[in-house]
Amino acid sequence: MLKVNNITKMYGDLKAVDNLSFEVGEGEIFGLLGVNGAGKTTTFRVIMGLLEADKGDVTLNGKKIDYTVTDKIGFLTEERSLLLKMNVLDQMLYYGVLKGMEESVVESELDKWLERFNIKEYKYRKIKELSKGNQQKIQFITAIINHPKLLILDEPFAGLDPINVKMFMDVIKEFKERGSIIIFSSHHMEHVELFCEKLVVLVKGRSVLEGKITDIKREYRQKNIVINGNVDINNLVKQNGVLEVQENQEDITVKLEDEKYVSGIFKYLSKGQNITKFVVEEPSLNEIFVSKVGESYDK
Amino acid sequence: MRYLFPKWVKVMINKLKYLVKISLRKKIKTKWFVVVNALLIILVIGLINIDSIISAFGGDFNKPTNIIIMDNTKEVFNNFKQTFNLSQDYLVDYKNISIEQSNKTREQLIKEIEDNKNIVIIVDFDEQNFVKAEVISNSFIDNTLNQIIISSLNTSKVAYALETSDIDPTALAIINKPIDINRNILDESKSEQEETYSFFMGIIFPSFILPFFMLIIFLVQMIGGEINEEKTTRSMEIIISNVSPKTHFISKIIANNIFIFLQASILFVAGLTGLFIRKVMGAGSFNLGPEFDLNSMWQSLVSTGIVSRLVYVIPITILLMLLSFLAYSLMAGILASMTTSIEDFQQVQTPIILISVLGYYLSMLAPTFEGSIFIKLVSYVPLLSALLSPPLLLIGQITIIDVMISFVLLIGVIYLMMTYGMKIYKVGILNYSTSKIWKKIFKAVRD
Repeated sequence: MLKVNNITKMYGDLKAVDNLSFEVGEGEIFGLLGVNGAGKTTTFRVIMGLLEADKGDVTLNGKKIDYTVTDKIGFLTEERSLLLKMNVLDQMLYYGVLKGMEESVVESELDKWLERFNIKEYKYRKIKELSKGNQQKIQFITAIINHPKLLILDEPFAGLDPINVKMFMDVIKEFKERGSIIIFSSHHMEHVELFCEKLVVLVKGRSVLEGKITDIKREYRQKNIVINGNVDINNLVKQNGVLEVQENQEDITVKLEDEKYVSGIFKYLSKGQNITKFVVEEPSLNEIFVSKVGESYDK
Repeated sequence: MRYLFPKWVKVMINKLKYLVKISLRKKIKTKWFVVVNALLIILVIGLINIDSIISAFGGDFNKPTNIIIMDNTKEVFNNFKQTFNLSQDYLVDYKNISIEQSNKTREQLIKEIEDNKNIVIIVDFDEQNFVKAEVISNSFIDNTLNQIIISSLNTSKVAYALETSDIDPTALAIINKPIDINRNILDESKSEQEETYSFFMGIIFPSFILPFFMLIIFLVQMIGGEINEEKTTRSMEIIISNVSPKTHFISKIIANNIFIFLQASILFVAGLTGLFIRKVMGAGSFNLGPEFDLNSMWQSLVSTGIVSRLVYVIPITILLMLLSFLAYSLMAGILASMTTSIEDFQQVQTPIILISVLGYYLSMLAPTFEGSIFIKLVSYVPLLSALLSPPLLLIGQITIIDVMISFVLLIGVIYLMMTYGMKIYKVGILNYSTSKIWKKIFKAVRD
């Protein structure tokens, strides 16, 4: 169990992380979300022990994270952290041995992962000669090569195409099934929505939304109605509780302030209008994120 | 080991060894290391044998120079030749110079020197019956050779004038006898012979320190470059998440110092090889004039007893150098951790390099400014003491106590850098912003 207890980190007068707490259990994937500069990377650095928190502490299975446990941790930084002049094997040996692995074990693990990511021909290539996507794969392998108990992934899907995003997701899910504690950040809410159980949304270092995604969505009062048919949009917008009407290519999305207005809209549309589709949906995580972050900035 | 330290210490030592290995491998396992060192070896051997190389290619310098004297006085030739031979050691190519007398006419001799390096000297009497001379050559005469010719002619003129005067032969013999000087140095620790050679040792010893000075610059640049590479590529975050900043810092110091010693050893072996080749080829000593004939000078130094000082000056020099390498490494590492790019580090390293340049120049100036309190005080300054103390000690301008003061100060600075510099390093290596850098550093030192 990873416990982050009331951590605060100051950069001079700036509070980069403000009294943040959360817990992630074994086999859980936790999303740390926020706009740029919200404090995600600082939180990761505090967890890794790279920065010391001004207040609060971080424990892994009840023990403070120090150099006696870092061999069990995998860390993928947001920016490329590879030595560009090294070849892939040397780079992997470098980071692998620093994680306490034997060189032979590192090499055999590397072969396995290179094969899995379809880049085994790059084993002896210099990092700087690889494309951004392939560099990201190498960086990802450096984070998982030691089969970490705690896997920290800061923007793992940056620079990847959808096929490779799927490949990464499959691997992350495998680690989850093996019982690893996984924390990751992403700007893409659809990624978070796909496989995170719990999340925290940071704004200026403070948590503005946290909990299980299903609970967050349930508790979030706004709803969307997707309809198909001949609708007078000008009138629809004027109905009670309608926040916005969005015309899509094939249908129309009506955003409601609260689910209590659903029946009113249904009654309005039932009056002589040719409706072929009426579906009430929960809002996407992205909508919740934008709304919550926007509210926090307004405050 | 198993029972002495906890397991994690053993793990950290293994990681330290690996960091050192990787750091060294990155430098040695490159084609540039091989290429540059191959070039260095060739250049060092070439420089040591430069006179043989120059001679092998030939040129006008190889042509013999004949000094042909047309002595119309019939009195000067022998004296001139004798005086000239006494001074000819000052000439690099004296073996190529001959002196002969000729009975040919002026016109004939001028015609003969048109295509060669011959020098014709026509000696005659002037109206007052004093010796006068005309020196004729095809082109410029080497400055030293010219000075020796003029000096020899002057001596011959005076000698002839004295001989033909009415001075009593006994008095003349006394005049021509070298002056009897009784040199008396009141400081009993200093011998007369030493006096002659201390000046030259002051010049020669700094030239032995030159490679050390170059290696310092090399060391500073390497440590700075390596730390900055890891910082700018952000790989530092991954490294520091697995090993402590202290381990990382120590690994950089060990690896780069090992590399420097390896590099110095290569240069040393190249130097020895060059000397061996020189000996095999039968080349003479480095004859740059009588004072700089190293072979004869070494013999003289042994007889003066100055060499006996080397017995303790050399170990002191080596120890000071080792400590100075450590001090420069620590300083380079700390400064590199504070900078955010290699360009920034290049600017920061300039003062370090200038400090060592200052030490090097002062060590050369020391014999000129004998007894200078400023130079003596500067010799205490850590980072400069390795460059300055050994030559000053060798030429007797400072004592062992002064050197001890230098040692204490240097060790003190190393201790301070290891204690507080490590704190700065820990904060600096993960700092990517130049804003409020000094505030962050002071905070790190305070904490």
